Amino acid sequence: MLVAIETTLIYTFLLGSLYLLVSLGFSLICGVLRIFHLGYAYIFTATIYFTWMFMSVFHWGLVPSIAAMLVIQAGIAIAIYKGLIVRYIKREEIIILGLLFVAIILEQSALRFYPIQTGVYLETTVVPGISKIGQVTVSNQLIFAGILGIVTTGLFVLFFLKTKLGLAVRAISYDIYSSRLMGIQVERVFMFIMVLVLIPVILATLAIAPIWAVEPSMGWGYMIIAILVSILGGLGNIKGTIMASYIIGFCHSVVGFVIAQPLYMGLSALIVVLIMLIVRPQGIAKSETVW
Amino acid sequence: MRAGGGKWEWHIEPRYWRNPLIYVGILIIAPVVVYFAYPPLLATVIDANLLAAIAIPLALMSIGTGRMNFGPQFYIGIGGYAAALLSIHFGLNPGLTLIAAALAGLFFGFLMSPLSIIAGGLYYSLLTLLLPLLFLEVTFIFSDLFKGDTGLSGIAPLVSVGSFSLNLLIYAFISLAMMLFYLFIIDKIFRSRYAIQMAAINDDEEVANGIGVNVNKTKIISFIIPAMMVAVVGWFYAHYYGAFSGLTYLPLTFMLKVFMVTMIGGRTQIYGCIIGGYFISFLELILIRTTGDMSPVLFPLILLILLLTLREGLFGLYRKRHYREYMPTLRFRR
Repeated sequence: MLVAIETTLIYTFLLGSLYLLVSLGFSLICGVLRIFHLGYAYIFTATIYFTWMFMSVFHWGLVPSIAAMLVIQAGIAIAIYKGLIVRYIKREEIIILGLLFVAIILEQSALRFYPIQTGVYLETTVVPGISKIGQVTVSNQLIFAGILGIVTTGLFVLFFLKTKLGLAVRAISYDIYSSRLMGIQVERVFMFIMVLVLIPVILATLAIAPIWAVEPSMGWGYMIIAILVSILGGLGNIKGTIMASYIIGFCHSVVGFVIAQPLYMGLSALIVVLIMLIVRPQGIAKSETVW
Repeated sequence: MRAGGGKWEWHIEPRYWRNPLIYVGILIIAPVVVYFAYPPLLATVIDANLLAAIAIPLALMSIGTGRMNFGPQFYIGIGGYAAALLSIHFGLNPGLTLIAAALAGLFFGFLMSPLSIIAGGLYYSLLTLLLPLLFLEVTFIFSDLFKGDTGLSGIAPLVSVGSFSLNLLIYAFISLAMMLFYLFIIDKIFRSRYAIQMAAINDDEEVANGIGVNVNKTKIISFIIPAMMVAVVGWFYAHYYGAFSGLTYLPLTFMLKVFMVTMIGGRTQIYGCIIGGYFISFLELILIRTTGDMSPVLFPLILLILLLTLREGLFGLYRKRHYREYMPTLRFRR
């Protein structure tokens, strides 16, 4: 019984923090730009495969490859914003379909040039080995990813609460028209957000790459988690996202590690979200603004 | 004919029915021509008809509920698995599995229809996006029953006359008949008083409610009937291929193909869905034949370019040059 409680608590924290990192970007885009970034999955794939590309083709080291990947990802994000979102802001179905296509194009490109047999692997282990917390054995890298999730989210919250730019973002998420009247450069802030949301996703992907499966279609599973967390938490609200991440983390840890039915993990989270949508469609936290 | 006059006048002018007859004639003759010219191409014709047969009811569902359903493939899964399981485990013939698939589509459509009332706007889109993925998870969890990613095989074929080419030709006609039947039914719905109600709901639900439209009833009916139609397409897939796997139809990639049929065709214009279906199917075939393993990259890339450049789809191009009101039509907010 004690082992079950220990396992639940530890994996709720670890998985919840990881899901928080994964979902933060999606929630921010929902809350600020008011669009569903259904191409969010491409960020995970692009992180791994662009880094691998620089390492394997140009024989760069890991750090320069990551830096180059960051530049490319920022470029893609800005291109998506200017080429798709700005031009078709009034036609939501085109934005949604267009973003999905971007994700599929990147996934298929990764599959074409680096199929699974290639054995893509990024040595981004920061803390190797395993640790025993009570009766539970956990990978150190996973603990690191969990702590990274909390720290990153904390920095994001501080950014939104303590900086002028963060205040501008919160203002835009509340009322875009009044923000424009107050002199906030809305388009620049939107572009900034498109690039900012890459950070937690890239950090999450690099943190878990050494311990979890890496393949071209890996992004879809994480995007679904991000969607579930965002819906559960209240679209676009970071407080709700934080709570929802740990609720989904709790579901997954109970079903996967305590009940020991990992196949049911995805289904359990989906059912929780469906119930929430029926009982309280606006989510845990009302999504009037980002914070 | 005017009383006392000698001149015959058409009650409905020929141009109003001539073109539809010509196009239906082309669609009927085309499989025969392909059969004699290059029979394997019939598979692409069947694929095109089926994509259009999914897109046409989806257009009705979108207009009737005023929302975009991002998971029509859920009902393909329902119909396909219902037909497959009953055929394999109980030996039912395709006629009986058709009834079962339609009833399954009707039942699950009814079960899911409250979503169109409870969930608004993007919540509805997200939920419908998640439903097929939920179903896919279920097929993996209950892999003893659904056989996971391998899928179910050994389903009784719909047609078996001993010749592969002749089978394909018959399948092509059946799929064409199904598509044209759906087109006829939904065209009639769009010319009826129900369309006025749907147009009102599409424009403004509260105003529609205020003028006496039973919004909930209209939405539920607009949800259930297309769900059943799409489930029947799933039934056809199961008996046509003799196998059915959720991994083929339930993921987002298949949904994108269906959506592109509606968008390329002309943003839920039901006649445009036929153009979209043939365009998408033949484009995919041409890319596979000419670009080989680059086709999975180029196909979505070309579709993205078309999505961004063709504002009203291919049917919109046609209407710009040959704009004609065939009959008084309602303006749906698409």
